[in-house]
Amino acid sequence: MLKHTALFLGYELRNTARNPVWPLFGILQPVLYMLMFAPLLANTTPGVPLSETLRQFTPGVMVMIALFGSMFVGFGLIREIRDGVLERLAVSPASRPAIVLGRILRDVIVLVLQALLIAAIGLLMGMRPSAPGLILMIVLMALTGVFASGVSYALALALRDENGLSQILQFFALPLILLTGILLPMSLAPAWMQAVARANPLYYAVEAGRALFTGRLSDGSIVVAFAVMLVLALLALRWSVASMRRLAG
Amino acid sequence: MGKTTTIRMLSTLIAPTEGTAEVAGHDLVREPRRIRERIGYVSQAGGVDEYNSARANLTLAARVNGIPRAETASRVDEMLAAFELGDFADRPARTLSGGQKRRVAIALGLVHRPPLLFLDEPTTGLDPQNRANLWDRIRLLRASGTSVLLSTHYLDEADALCDRLAIVDHGVVVAEGTPAELKRQVASDVVTLRLAAADDAASPVEEAAALLEAQPYTREVRADGELLRVYLDDGEHALPSLLRVLEDRSLVIRSIALDRATLDDVFLHKTGRSLRDAA
Repeated sequence: MLKHTALFLGYELRNTARNPVWPLFGILQPVLYMLMFAPLLANTTPGVPLSETLRQFTPGVMVMIALFGSMFVGFGLIREIRDGVLERLAVSPASRPAIVLGRILRDVIVLVLQALLIAAIGLLMGMRPSAPGLILMIVLMALTGVFASGVSYALALALRDENGLSQILQFFALPLILLTGILLPMSLAPAWMQAVARANPLYYAVEAGRALFTGRLSDGSIVVAFAVMLVLALLALRWSVASMRRLAG
Repeated sequence: MGKTTTIRMLSTLIAPTEGTAEVAGHDLVREPRRIRERIGYVSQAGGVDEYNSARANLTLAARVNGIPRAETASRVDEMLAAFELGDFADRPARTLSGGQKRRVAIALGLVHRPPLLFLDEPTTGLDPQNRANLWDRIRLLRASGTSVLLSTHYLDEADALCDRLAIVDHGVVVAEGTPAELKRQVASDVVTLRLAAADDAASPVEEAAALLEAQPYTREVRADGELLRVYLDDGEHALPSLLRVLEDRSLVIRSIALDRATLDDVFLHKTGRSLRDAA
């Protein structure tokens, strides 16, 4: 399984590297958020410098890329189902889990590279995050990516239909993002919304990210976020591998 | 109907609900993994990753099928050369023509040199030149000792390529054997007649059918609208006598043709319908 995972990962990475325009294009939107939304946000809190606002805002942007960058990977898989690629692999001795794992690893690697780019932009804009915090945040982001990719592949394998997949993803994307407090702090939200936000796993990731960036490494939210995202990532992995086994026997 | 399902089942893609089969020496239900090591499968969809090159597709397929890294590059080159894909080996497969893409698909099924290859309607949608080209490749494969299980709805294709064939109608095998055997079951020749409408007789076709049915050389007579198809074994020698019989009854022949019986005639004989109606 490990050997086959490496094979699929290598294949997918070479494929991505041949056309690196798309992952770059994919983070254009988060970059614009950094450049255009962060200053706006800074002005809503007079007296707080931009560098501090960025320490609050950048972890949110990272979670956003983890979600939006990975959520749509399932579309590629639907195309491969339609072209018969997965069927051909199903008739080969290829390890079933490896077919999904290789792809998820590729997504995570692309994600980490995107995260480094975002961090670099933040640094250029004057943000000064805690160094161990930044590293831990990238790990947390990778877990979030595994979760989002896994769910996307599992949904793609279950639905096998672009329209259905896009409807479901659209439906979840906005509330998931709004209820993290990335764009506006959840402290502005009414009580019921704050309660709902606690059911949003990404909320914990963003909270933990803020603690990490400001160097509050003993903050309780960090353990909670890692625990929640680890469990979700494992569940998503299991679901996507099981869906692949159902398709490929 | 049922061809693709059968192939998908035999190639381990779907589990049979009942029954048993042995594929490439292994039991289909108990040892699907062993079978997967010994077969190649080319679906109608093709299974080519269109966003990647033929070379990348083939390289991954070779490695996944257990070919060692050291041998992979030379094996891939060999496949690219054998399928005349060398000139566009590194272009994304989506930029290839239909015939080229089909060659990539078949190369993908053969890269690990399986003793058994499944081809599901390999020539559907190909132009005549590519179709002939593919036929030659399948013949070469057969000659080199690879067993090929091919499904097609072109009976001329089955006739040209197959040592053994089974005709499946509504999921049931209605005939099985070598093309020659099957055709012999019907007749070796077929005479197709078109009769002029007579003034008095209600239907010249019916009258002629009854008349020819009684002739010693006739195997079977089928009326198909205005056409009358007479199946017989030695058409060249029977034809003069057949003409004489019709002339004696003053039945006027508007056209007549003598052909070798084809698998289409076998299909008609076995199912009562022509393949055109069945499709």
